[in-house]
Parts: sequence; C-alpha cells; structure tokens
Amino acid sequence: MLPDEARREIGLEILSGESGAAALDRYAGRIDAEIVRLHAAARPPGQAVALAALGGYGRRHLCPYSDIDLLILFGGPVGDAEERFLRRLLHPLWDAGFIVGHQVRDRDDVARLEADNPEFLLALSDARLVAGDSMLFEEALAAFRTPRVRAHVFTALERLIDTRHAQFNETLYQLEPDLKEAPGGLRDVSAARTLAALTDGALLDRGEDAGRLAQAEDFLLRLRSLVHLERRRNDNVLGHEIQEKLAGLLGYAGASARQRVEALMAEYFGRARAVARVLDRARRGAPVPVAENLGRTRDGIGFIDAPKAAAQPETWLAAFQSALDAGVSVSDGTLDAIRRHVDRFAVGDVLPTARHRAALLRFLAPRQGLYARLSEMHDCGLLGRIIPPFQAITCRVIRDFYHKYTVDEHTLQAIRNLERLAVESEPRHRFATLLRELESPELLVLALLLHDVGKWRDEDHAEESVRMAEALLDGLDVSGVPKDTILFLIRHHLRMSQVAFRRDTEDPEIVREFSALVGSEERLKLLCLMTLADVAAVGPGTLSKWNEDLLWRLYVDTYNYLTVQYGDDLIERTQAAAAECVARRPADLDAGEVAAFLEGLPRRYLQVFDRHAIYHHVRLARDIHPDEVHLRLEPAESVWELTLVTLDKPMLFASICGVLSSFGMDILRGHAMTNPNGLVLDVFQFTDAERFLALNPGAPDIVLHALEDVVAGRSTAIDRLRGRQSGLRRRRPAGDPPVARVDGGASRKYTVLEIVAPDTPGLLYRISHAIAARDCAIDLVLISTEGQTAIDVFHITKDGAKLTPADQRALTGDLQHMLEDNE
Amino acid sequence: MKLLKAIIRPNKVDDVKDALAKLNISGMTVTEVRGHGKQKGHTAIYRGKEYNVSLLPKMQVEVVVTNTIAEEAILAIVEAARTGEIGDGRVFVLPVEQSYRIRTGERDL
Repeated sequence: MLPDEARREIGLEILSGESGAAALDRYAGRIDAEIVRLHAAARPPGQAVALAALGGYGRRHLCPYSDIDLLILFGGPVGDAEERFLRRLLHPLWDAGFIVGHQVRDRDDVARLEADNPEFLLALSDARLVAGDSMLFEEALAAFRTPRVRAHVFTALERLIDTRHAQFNETLYQLEPDLKEAPGGLRDVSAARTLAALTDGALLDRGEDAGRLAQAEDFLLRLRSLVHLERRRNDNVLGHEIQEKLAGLLGYAGASARQRVEALMAEYFGRARAVARVLDRARRGAPVPVAENLGRTRDGIGFIDAPKAAAQPETWLAAFQSALDAGVSVSDGTLDAIRRHVDRFAVGDVLPTARHRAALLRFLAPRQGLYARLSEMHDCGLLGRIIPPFQAITCRVIRDFYHKYTVDEHTLQAIRNLERLAVESEPRHRFATLLRELESPELLVLALLLHDVGKWRDEDHAEESVRMAEALLDGLDVSGVPKDTILFLIRHHLRMSQVAFRRDTEDPEIVREFSALVGSEERLKLLCLMTLADVAAVGPGTLSKWNEDLLWRLYVDTYNYLTVQYGDDLIERTQAAAAECVARRPADLDAGEVAAFLEGLPRRYLQVFDRHAIYHHVRLARDIHPDEVHLRLEPAESVWELTLVTLDKPMLFASICGVLSSFGMDILRGHAMTNPNGLVLDVFQFTDAERFLALNPGAPDIVLHALEDVVAGRSTAIDRLRGRQSGLRRRRPAGDPPVARVDGGASRKYTVLEIVAPDTPGLLYRISHAIAARDCAIDLVLISTEGQTAIDVFHITKDGAKLTPADQRALTGDLQHMLEDNE
Repeated sequence: MKLLKAIIRPNKVDDVKDALAKLNISGMTVTEVRGHGKQKGHTAIYRGKEYNVSLLPKMQVEVVVTNTIAEEAILAIVEAARTGEIGDGRVFVLPVEQSYRIRTGERDL
C-alpha cells in the first residue's frame, strides 16, 4: 500500500462530507492489514510476540501524517533473532514512507508497569492488538488494569493535562490553535475518555456529554486531517493562512474570506468549549481508583460499580479501610447503598474468610480518622452487622449524673480519645507513649467497642459485655491470649479508675492487689489507656488533669511492682491458679511433674504465659541434667521465639545472650526465671537482623547446636563473638543517655538492677557479662524494647544474698561506664 | 457559723461524707485540688529515671456548720480521713459572718 494514495483518499472523503472518524477508521484498517502482512512476512521468532497499535492509531483515529505508534511485545528477552524480526517488520514500513514510532518491551517490563514512563502508560490505555499472540497481549492489559497501575496512570494523566494546558496559558481561545494539544483539542477528548476508562466507564454517559464529545472529536479530526494534507507533515496548528483555505474548502458561509474564517473559528471555539467542559466534569467526577471497584472522588471513597458492590458485602469493609488510608470520608452514595442492602446479609457474608476477619482487626488500629469511619459504619448499619452486640446499645440511654452521651456514642468517643493519643502526643504525652508501645493496639479498640455492650441490660453490665463478647470473638478468629486479653479488659474496665480515684494508692497492699489482678505490663498499659479513653468519653471535662495524675500514679506504681518487685511473690502449690493449671493438664503430663515445675517460679509466670505454653515448658524441663539444655526455636509472627530450659550455672545468661548476638540476633523481649531448685526457664523473642535464619535452611539447627555447646562448656560466647564486638560497638545509637540504676530495697530477696539504654546489638550480652564479672548471679530478667530503647530489669544476688552497698556501687560504675562507652 | 475546709486524700471523701452524714450534716462542696504540705510531694521512679511529683492530688471538702457542732464535725473529719501516714491532710476552720439562701433570700441564723 502506498501511503500517499491512502492519504489522498482521506482528504477526498472528508471534503465530500464524510465523517472524519469514519475516514480515519478506514485508514487505520488499511495500516492494520499492512502490518498483519508484514508480521507474517517477517517470520516471527520462536517466542511469543504481539503487535499492538497505541495512541491515536490504537483508537483507529490515525490522521494522515500521524506517527504509527506500535508496541512490539515479546514473551521473553530480546536477542539477535528478535532484532532480525524487528528489522524485517519495520524497514518495509519506513521504506514505504510511513512514520513509525515503535516501542519494544518484554514480559518483565510489563510486570513493573507502574515504574514505566507515564506517556507510555497512557498510550497503553488505547492499546489494540493488531497481530501476534493474543494471550501475551491480554496478559499485558491485565497488568495495566490493576487498581494500583490505574491510580498511577490517573495521577500521571492529571499532571500531564495540567502541564499541557499551562503551555497555552490555560485558555482554549487561541487565534491559531493547536488542534491536538491546545485546551479543548484532541488530546483533551482522549484524556476525557481515558479518565472514564481508568475509573468509571459510565463517567461520560451523563447528559449529552458523550454525544457532544463525539461530535467535537469528529470535527477536530476532519480539521486536523486537512491540515496534515495541506502541510504534508504532522503539523497540527490551525494557522491564519490555513484557516482561510479550509474555511473555503469546507464551504463555510460568508461573502468574504474573513467572514468564512470567522464562521469556521466560531464552530471551532464552540466544539473546543464543549470538549473542555466535558473534560472538566470528568476530572471533577472521576473516581481515582484505590482498590478493586473503589474510587476516590471529591465526595470521598465510593463504589465505582454500585450495583455490583451491593451484591458483594465482603467488599464493603475495604471502602472504609481505603477511606481511612486516604484520610477522607466514605461517600454518601456508598453509605446509602450499604444502608439499603445491609439487612440482606449476615456477618458471615460481610466477613466470609479469615482474610476478611484479619482485615477488620487491621482496620481497628487507632489512627487518624478511625472514629469518623466507625461512625459512618455505625450510621449505615454495617458496624452492627459486623459486631452484632453493638446493635443492642444503639441510641441506648442510661440516665446517671455523669454520662452525657448515648452508650453507642460514648463507645465511639472513647475510641476517638485513643485516636487523639495516636495522632497528637500533647497534651497527654505520657499516655501517648504507652499507646505507641502496645504490641496490638487494635485489641484495645475491639475491647472498647465491646466494653459497654452489656448496658442493654440494667444489671452488671461488665459481665454481660463479657458474655456477649465471647461468642463474637470466636467468630472473628480472635482466640488464645488476644481473646483472654480482650475479655480481661472488658471485665475489669472500671477497676483501674476505681482504684486510682477512690482507693489509697499510697498503700503498698492496694498496689500489690492491683498488680496481681493485672499481671503483666502489656495488660497494665492496655487497661490504663482503656480507663483514660473511657473516662474521658463520659462527657466534656470528665477526665481532669487531676484524674490523669491519679491514673498515671497508679500506672507507675503498678508498673514498678510488676517489673521490680515481682520477684518476691512465688507460686505455691496451694495457689488457685497453680492448682487449676495442674488440674487441667493434658494426659501426657503428671500432676506432680506440673506442680514441681511451677513451685517457686514467680507468680508473674502464671499470668504472662497461657496454659498451652506452660505445659510445653513442663515437657521441655523433663529429664534435664547438668550441662544439658532443652530448646525450642520457632517463628512467631514477625520475630523468632527461643524457649530454653536448663540448670543454672555461672555466666549462663550472658552465654546465651552472647550466642544469639553472635548470629546477629537482636533480642527484643523476654523473660528469664529461675526456681529454687536451680531450674532455669528463658524465653526470648528476637529479630533475625542479618537474616541468618531466613536465608539458610539449616540455620535453626546451627543456632541450637551453638547454644548446646556453650551450655555444655564445649565453647564460650566470647570465642563466638570475637571479631564481632568492635563491629557492634561502632554503630552509634540515638536516644536519651543510658541509665543503670540499682535498687536494694524493692525486693526482700534480690537486688534489682534496672537498665534503660539505647538499644544496640549485643547490649544484653554486655550487661549480663558485666554482672557476671562481678560474681553476681542473675535470677530473674525482664527484657523489653520500646522503640529504640532497651528496658531490662535484672534481679541479682551475690553469694545467695542481696548486694552490699559497696558491691552495688562497683557494679553500677561498671555498667554506667560500659553503657556510655557503648554510645 | 464556721466554714470547715478540709484537704484530704482523694480516697477518703466517701468516708468523710459518711461521717458527717451521721451528724446530720449533708451539704458540702467537694473540689479536686493539687498541692503539698509537709509531704512536699515525692520522688517517683519510672524506667530507671526519677521524676518529682511536687503537687499531689487532694480533695478539698468545704462544709458550713453551726458553732455548736463545729467541734464534733472537725473530729469526725479528722477521724474519717486519717491513715496515720504523712499526707493525711489538714482541716482549716474559718468564721462565717452571714449566709443567705439564694432561692428565697432567707438569711440563715
């Protein structure tokens, strides 16, 4: 086919009154046929190849001198055979006088589409297969259709439109307009259509937009084609001279050339204005794709295809999650749609799989906007569908002197108080710090959602709330420790305020009792924050600074008891919790075995480990002999957990820490406990900072063997750490100066050593080594890491007794020196 | 008439209220206050660091009584609010010249 001949035909067709779009469609069809022929003649290489038309050619609006934009997509890497194929395909086109803009990509390029240049991605939105492998082509388009890539292209398109319009001073009223690039030109027509394709297919169906756009496009295509033919090149500017010529050729009315030009340009400006208006409306109304069938508009996050979403309740939570992520509301239309259909579905329809239920928990993490999204969810009936007990307190009125809101709003306000702590540290900085330290803050929100559901009855609402929550939590896959924690929080949500505000917290017995109830620092933080959020949600000003101080004071006293004073409270056989643990043991464990294991360990042990873990520890302790260690190493969510039972010996704790450090492990949390018979139970949680365990299949066994060797005395931690020490110390930590504080009075049996220092690799090893170097025995250890700060509490003795003041000073000096040297 | 102004531990308000009720004294004003007397606050330790709690939370109970039962009321407050430890608080006794009921304009004798 000769291009000049084909181009001449377009001109004749247009001047004879033919539609511009139809003429160009025929022209594109002829090019297609030529490419199909050349593709076959070029003998495609062995691998899959697809030839796709892009841009105006893809839309079948190929103007006479426009570039023929071709995407040549290969299934694999491009080598010599592919290069030869490209030459055989492209050279004949160039020789014939066509201007070909070609892009060569392989399958891997398409897999990383969002990293590609925006112009290419936009061109791809009009891609049309001309020849070759349709599967390969569909695969590329599927990658293009993901919400992430569409959102990326959408943003890029918006930016390109703004940049292009700025080049024309953002006005379409140009005396010599560029028919393609100017505002209201062909690029804007294409942009409006692309916006619709990327977001909402029905975007242009409003009113007469689609019809006006099609008419304007046809007009512009006719003009552009004639300009091309007059200029014999890809020139799109409708200059003065050509205006005069085209006005005559197209038969515009007027006695003079000037009048005919004015008639032509009047029509041009009318058409361009129509395009600009349609594009503007599309830009305002187009939902930015954020997730499957979800888009963001100025009204917020909404379903793109509402009828489809109405039948898919499992997609509803995603709308609220996307709104939370984007910091906007869920659109009124979407809330209305959910409101209309929510009664048709049960909780199992909304949260049908474990993945959906896990998504709900993630959604509940306190952050900016959570209160607003939960309120929307409540308002449209979805919250009551997901958490049925919540329905029981909707608009529930409890008349008392204090509460200012209905029970449901009080609950949501309590969550709002947590959200405020998460967003702005001041003015409740100390409580905000606690919130940041929580391992699973979403459990606190779930507990708050449920804490007052029992108020649908007038009796003891906390117990009723617990009863209602139990069944719900099972349905949400919340079990084990998280479930126990939530039920604990609900059952005791009034307890901390009662103790803080109404009991004498200077009485050590009151603090001891409260500590026994709470059991662990994590639960204490949760209950403290729950109390704060709950009291502050009763009404404005209910939580005064005065109350805050009382609450904080009880928190600190209890925290100190749990971390510094717990060593004196030991498990006795007759203790109810121990007896229950023995009574409910599994069949493979003997009653005496369990009781002997428990006796003499700190009572804290029964509160921080559930029965399943305790029985596992008992099994590990079976038949343990001196110099032996029984171990278990397993992944636990984002960390690794090492459980270790052995018999006590000098330097033991330091050696174990040293081995873990030698593999680059960073110990985050843990407990080390010793019973009066010298049985040692250590549980460490650590990160595999150097990915030794992750990258080496046999690595867990290597770590375990190294621990066995060190405990048995076959090697030492110092040997293993040689060469690593200097490297570890070079890493300068950030944060407050380190503190090493010895308390000789907190415990009857132990000297308590508290270390608060910037977390560095090997820190725990160096501390425990310094303690052992002073001939002190480490009996109990609590290890925690809050952000970048390590907080470790050691209960130590020397020759079976507390340290003398002189020993305390010497040890403190060693540690302070070591910690400061570490900085 | 006397105005008894008692600064007491927060957890002792109910005990003081009950003790005064036994003397048929029911009207009182309770205010959350912060301050220190001989107790002068204390040093608390949190995560190895000391910090000063200079102003302690206290409750201020104000009650106006006739001269005839003032002594008895003071004793009741002291007994109810006492723990024997530093920080139990103080009772101040102030003379009251006149008192009027706002609703009726009636003057108390």
